[in-house]
Amino acid sequence: MVGEEKDLLSSLLLELRRGTLTISVLSQMKEPKYGYALVQSLEEKGIAIDPNTLYPLLRRLENQGLLESRWETGGAKPRKYYQRTKCGTEIYEKLKAYWQNLSAGMERLLREEES
Amino acid sequence: MTPNEKDYMDRYIYQIIRRLPKAQRDEVRMELEELISDMYTDKGSMEEVLTELGDPAEFAKQYQSSQRYLIGPEYFDTYLWFVKVVLICAAIPILVISLINAIGEMPAISSQHSASVMIRTIANGLTAGITDAVLSCVAAFGAVTLTFAVMERKKVQFELKKAEKWSLESLSGESKTPASRSRWTPKFLEPVPDKKAIISRGDSIAGIIFIVIFSVLLIFAPHFFAVFFTEGETVMTVPIFNLEQWSIVLPVLIISLLIGLADEILRLVVGVYCGLVMISNIICGLLQIVLSIVVLKVLPIWNPNFAPEIERALVDHADSGSGFLTYWNADMVSNGLLIFIAAITVFEIGVTIYRTLRYGAPIKNG
Repeated sequence: MVGEEKDLLSSLLLELRRGTLTISVLSQMKEPKYGYALVQSLEEKGIAIDPNTLYPLLRRLENQGLLESRWETGGAKPRKYYQRTKCGTEIYEKLKAYWQNLSAGMERLLREEES
Repeated sequence: MTPNEKDYMDRYIYQIIRRLPKAQRDEVRMELEELISDMYTDKGSMEEVLTELGDPAEFAKQYQSSQRYLIGPEYFDTYLWFVKVVLICAAIPILVISLINAIGEMPAISSQHSASVMIRTIANGLTAGITDAVLSCVAAFGAVTLTFAVMERKKVQFELKKAEKWSLESLSGESKTPASRSRWTPKFLEPVPDKKAIISRGDSIAGIIFIVIFSVLLIFAPHFFAVFFTEGETVMTVPIFNLEQWSIVLPVLIISLLIGLADEILRLVVGVYCGLVMISNIICGLLQIVLSIVVLKVLPIWNPNFAPEIERALVDHADSGSGFLTYWNADMVSNGLLIFIAAITVFEIGVTIYRTLRYGAPIKNG
């Protein structure tokens, strides 16, 4: 692939991933989790996310009021745990419904194109 | 973790947090310490961990959420054009002035060394001129940038207010769902402005050039505003302005000119005659009239020795142009100039009001 094409593809992929990552993260945050555990659990489920994307994303979601955080200082080292807020849960449910609708539609579109 | 690895971790974290706002740094540093040590426990090698995390500059970029502008893309073209015009208008007159000053200071041409003396004097003048030109270009650039930056911020506030006002109206209307609060409707569309309401760059350029050149002359060459006499070889000048008190008068003059410049910038950026342009023009015009009154009636702008100095010069002169002297009266000149300035300003405001009411875009969503 030519360099220019590659850049285009990666920027399109980035756009495509951006929204899905938010839903992915929100979906895992019913129970409190710390950052790296989230990276690992998402990766196990087939959604790879770079830590350098995830950590800023967690902060943004917290600023938007969808997540809340607290520092646990009891263990060997301080850890920051994130959890969905009430508002975050409401938004997550809406996003989930929207996503299911969208992905069903996408599925139909892409299958139609194949046949 | 070896001390060496810990050191690398600290370096990496520092490269990220130094790019972030101060308020976030401590928290992000703790987060990153947690992350990197977790990853280190997982992978067992600091080098591998940091390589996976990648360039800290890119990492920091992920933290910087919204894009912030000093001057946004909407104004940027106008801004660039403006900077170019102002810089050219500031630099060229200063170079010319310093060249004239240098030639004026040149000793009488008598010896055969004259060519080298001449070249040296001109070179000196040019060096001084270039220094002045660079300094005033920096100042002019700053003034224009500041004005645009203020407008950029005000525009944001203006648009926020507009949206807020609109949502209140729509809430009182038939739609009561919060989702429709800031939704766009065709009512938002402003009518296409009449061709005669459009303010072109051509309309403003004369004003801008005048303002900048006049400022430059007032700052760098107030002594050029003078009556010139030739007396044999030497040129005598009697300055019109009170150069000893100039440091008091100059700031007021410059403020007045800057107000004019800000008004021109606003006109160009908005681009059509509308309520905002009209109000700005009225306010700036009135301020300029007030400042003119201060300069001409309160501050010591005129050379108090103007009449006696000219008289003295004229005594030495055979031809008496002394008829002129009987007309010189500082108060009268002040009043005359004041009436002239007020008339021009009022005329300009009148034209703006006329064009706004006749062709202008309606006052924004009023």
